[in-house]
Parts: sequence; structure tokens; C-alpha cells
Amino acid sequence: MADHHLEIDNLVKTYPGALKPSVDRVSLSLPRGEMLALLGPSGCGKTTILRMIAGLIPVTAGEIRLDGRGISAIPVHKRNMGMVFQAYALFPHMTVAENIGFGLEMRGVGKAERTERVLKALDLVKLSGYGERRVSQLSGGQQQRAAIARSLVIEPALLLFDEPLSNLDAKLRDEMRDEIRDIQNRTGVTSIFVTHDQDEALSMADRLAVMSEGRLEQIGTPRQIFDRPRTDFVASFIGAGSFLTGTVVAPGRADVPGLGILHFTGDVPAGGKARFLVRPHRFVLGEGVNAFSGVVEHVVYRGQILTIAVRAGDHRLQADLPTHAATLPAKGDRVTLSVAPDDVTLVGEAA
Amino acid sequence: MDAKLARFAFALLITLLYLFLLAPIIVVLVISFDTRQYLAFPPESLSFGSYAKVFANVKFISAFWRSLGIGLFVGLVSIFAGLLLSLALSRHDFRGKGAINFLILAPFLVPHIVLAVGVMLVLGPLGLLDSYSGIFLAHLGITTPYTVRTITMSLMAVDRRIEEAARVHGASPAMVLWRITLPLVRPGLIAGAVIAFLISFDEATISLFIVSVKSSTLPTEIYHYLEYSTDPQIAALSVILILISVGVVVVVERLIGLRKAL
Ligand SMILES: Nc1ncnc2c1ncn2[C@@H]1O[C@H](COP(=O)(O)OP(=O)(O)OP(=O)(O)O)[C@@H](O)[C@H]1O
Ligand SMILES: [Mg+2]
Repeated sequence: MADHHLEIDNLVKTYPGALKPSVDRVSLSLPRGEMLALLGPSGCGKTTILRMIAGLIPVTAGEIRLDGRGISAIPVHKRNMGMVFQAYALFPHMTVAENIGFGLEMRGVGKAERTERVLKALDLVKLSGYGERRVSQLSGGQQQRAAIARSLVIEPALLLFDEPLSNLDAKLRDEMRDEIRDIQNRTGVTSIFVTHDQDEALSMADRLAVMSEGRLEQIGTPRQIFDRPRTDFVASFIGAGSFLTGTVVAPGRADVPGLGILHFTGDVPAGGKARFLVRPHRFVLGEGVNAFSGVVEHVVYRGQILTIAVRAGDHRLQADLPTHAATLPAKGDRVTLSVAPDDVTLVGEAA
Repeated sequence: MDAKLARFAFALLITLLYLFLLAPIIVVLVISFDTRQYLAFPPESLSFGSYAKVFANVKFISAFWRSLGIGLFVGLVSIFAGLLLSLALSRHDFRGKGAINFLILAPFLVPHIVLAVGVMLVLGPLGLLDSYSGIFLAHLGITTPYTVRTITMSLMAVDRRIEEAARVHGASPAMVLWRITLPLVRPGLIAGAVIAFLISFDEATISLFIVSVKSSTLPTEIYHYLEYSTDPQIAALSVILILISVGVVVVVERLIGLRKAL
């Protein structure tokens, strides 16, 4: 654990007067240079964690360590953090260059060096030539870049982003997504990125921490989170899918009431109950090991894929089919869906 | 056609309303040029004589400078006090906050004549009647509620995230105040200073109770002058005072946009 740059240990935050904690015993650690996405529904405590790391609010219990040293006693302005706010929070009475140079000025960096570093930062975020503008003369995306430059220029120990993309329109959001990832790669700054958009989290982060109601549900690579969700919550929050509960009758075989026998890979002792998840794109049309027949209840054409809902026994299975097939199932058709045992995700043992 | 008529009627109404509001000022303006030695309307012949007399009146001139000095000082100190109070009231929770809030509201609710008696009773035992300190304290008391108000309005419009961003990026609390908060509430500070100055400069009721000769202000001099004589000098002086008030507002409006600050 020694090479972990940031360590959060059993962090708890209960706001004054609140009945239950907003952040409940969260532990996680970040190696240097990693970009972690904190993902979860609104109100699950993401911003609260970020604000505790920045020092804007005191922790109720637990510890935050940077390079092995506790930082809870260090006041905000001495923590050397960068933070990009949702609404950018640029200083409206200063020029773009003054905004970016602010942190350096507060650190007593001389004017000549400051100017030089501000110019470099402007260049890094592709805002060269915009330094003398007022903040109000920038577009949303440009303000976003200026806010990132303001944080980067101080070479922060950590760069914290609180939903930086949610104020941008869809096209710009995709652009900035790549841009931020690119800047992070180039500067190697250890970053935490708060979002409630799963696409954003999956595509930008080295690892994802999924939260629910103040607790950390699971932390892992995008692949682990998507393909091996450990809880129902994670499975359903990240991507759609069909949940199945069954009794394991033999190794790798479970009896799902109202559907039939499901073959899967994974160790669950016979006699135990288990929860399974099948992602929509894992189903294929036609016979196979796990084949389930049913009537198409619902069809949505999405260009590249066709999403169908199939009533099979007591279950409603959701499948994404490629649209290049000669004939596509229509509502009311009887179809057979199958899924390879390897593509059946074991979510956990059910009670 | 109807819309046009309605617009015309509306314009007419507004014009009449303004005329009604401005009528006293217009009358005063006209009278100030009258050559007779008593106040009457309309005048018979016009001249600048009354203005010349005002400028030759030593009492008026020295009271004017006193009022100006007091007003400027009150304006300055009042925004300083207003800033501290606003910051405390809008940014912190403490015991007795409600009481302070109420006290600040009091001068809005209590008639000045009542305040005047109270101020006199307090300043008397302290030996501050007819002193600069006394009038200064009294004016500070009635102007600070206004500066608290304008500054609080400006403070509330400041996005807390902006101050937080400054803190995160390395500004100490004092630096946040100096480099972020103060510049952002500048309109409120200027508006507060202007209002405090104008109130102090115009204030008559309380001043009458606590000043006599040493620290008489322009409004009290006018009052005393009126007790013995009513001539167009008073009208001329009034016009000068109106011009000063309007001048201050116009200058500030040009400089920072007072309307934005209010
Ligand atoms: N200053 C505060 N005082 C009291 N409760 C608060 C405060 N800030 C947040 N909370 C509560 O703490 C919980 C977590 O809030 P937080 O802002 O961390 O959520 P979030 O995950 O960032 O949500 P969102 O995605 O909507 O931004 C919420 O239930 C919220 O109501
Ligand atoms: Mg949030």
C-alpha cells in the first residue's frame, strides 16, 4: 500500500442535524497518476467525499492520507489541491490569465515565472490567446478549460472534478471528455472525477468507485464493474440487463423458476441460491446452451442495434441485437434467445 | 388603434405622476430666483441674488463644510461597520443573531423623532451633545442599517463556490476576503457609502436634538434660519442641496451603475 498516493480510510460524514451519515465508512486508495471516477446516483455522497478531500468540510470520522500523511488537520488553502467545479466558479472580476495565475500568486510565485506558467497552462488547455479576455467573454467549454488550467497550473497533489461536464451540451461533452482524459494522461496528475453518468465514468476512468447511499458498493476497473458487478445495485446502475435468481442444482447449473436450467461459470455450492445477470448484448438469436424461447413484447430500433424485450416464462429478457441481420424480429414474433455460460454474470449469492 | 390610445393614456398618466412628484421641487426652483424677500409663488422678477446671498452667508458655508465632512466620514465608517455586520450575519451562525438583526431593522421602524429623543438621552450623560463625536455616532446608527442592507444584497449574490475555489487554490481566509469577496461586493459598498452620505447630509430631525452651535449641520442651520426669516435664500439653498444630491447619484451611476448596486 506504500505506493498509494491517496488513501481514504473509513471516512464518515454526518452533516450537523442529519439523522444518518451522508458518507458511511468509505475506504479507497489511489496510486499516483490514476484517474478514479466516483459514480453513483444523486445524493449518494460523491460531492461530500470530494469536499472532505479538498478540506472544504470537516470529516466526522476516518482519515484521509496523502503519501502516508494524514491531512485532516491541514487547512484548505495549504492542501495543494486543484478543483474543477460544476459551474466552473471562475473569478468573474479577473481576466482568464489572472484566474489561472491566482493559485501561483497565492503561493508567492514571482510575476515573470507566473506569466510563463500561465501561458503554458493556457496552451495545455488550448486557450492560447484568450488570456486577456474576461471570464464572461468565454463560452461554456472555454470556461471549463480555463477552470482546468487554473487547477493544473499549481501542479496539485490531486485534481478533483465535480461533475465538470454536466453543464455542457452533448457534443461538447464528448469532446471535453476526451480532452480531459488526454490532459490527465499528459500531466499524470492523480485525479478523482465525480459523475452520475455511467458512460462518462466507464470511458474516462482507470477505475470506478460505485456508491449508493453513502456507501462504497464496489471499486474496480471499468471492465470489472461492468462484467463482474458484485451487487444488484452496481449491476443495474451500470448498464441494463436481465436479472435471474435460481437454485444451484449442480456445479455450473442453476434452476431458475419460471425459466429453466441456466448454465454458468463460477463457484457456487449446489443447493445455494444465486443471482445472475445477462447483459442485453450478450444474448444472441438462435439455439445454444442456454436457450430460452418467448414472444417479443417490445421492440426499439436504435440504428446500430435493435433492443427487444422477450417474455420467456415468468421472465422478461432484454436483448440488444445487431441490425445487420436479414430479418429482424418484430413485435409478437416467437424467438429463441441464447447466451453462452461465460456471458452469464454471477452477481452474488442470494438469500 | 386601441393599443395606441392605451399607450398614450399610459404615457400621460406617467407624465402627470412625475409632474405631481416634482412639483414642489419645481416651485422651489422658480422661487429661488425671486427677488422679493418673502416666499411667494409665482415670482414677479427673477435674479441670481438669492444664490449670491447664500454663498455670502458664513453660517451656511461653514455648516456646509461641516456637513460634508461628517457625511463623508459617516459614509466611510458606515460601510466598514456594514461590511463587518453583513459578513457576520450572512456567513456565520451565532447566539444573538436574531437580536442583532432586529436591532438593525429598528431604525427603519422607529420614527426619527423617537430615535432623536433616545439618542439625546444617551449622548447627554456621556457629554457628547453638540460634539462631532455625538453627531457622528448618531448618524452612524441611522445609516448603518442601510449599508448592511446594500452590502448583504451584494454578498448574497456572490456565489460561495467562487470563494471556495479561491480557498482550494491557495488563498487564506484573509486573502479570499481581500481578493475575491470585497471586489465582488464593491457595488454594494459604493451604494452603501452613497446612501449613508446622503442620509447624513440631509438628516435634520436627530441633529436638531443633539447639536446647537459648535457642530451645527447644514440642515439644522436651515431650520434655525427658517425660524426667523423666510426668504428666497432658503429656496436657493434647497436647489443647491438638490443639485448636490443629484450630482452624487449621477456621478456614481456613471462610474459603477448605482442601479445595479441597489
Ligand atoms: N451542507 C449540507 N448539509 C446537510 N446535508 C447535506 C449537505 N450537503 C449535502 N447534504 C446531504 O448529503 C447527501 C449527499 O450529498 P452530496 O452532495 O454529497 O451528493 P452527490 O452524490 O454529490 O449528489 P449529486 O449527484 O446530486 O451532486 C445528500 O443526502 C444531501 O442532502
Ligand atoms: Mg454532487
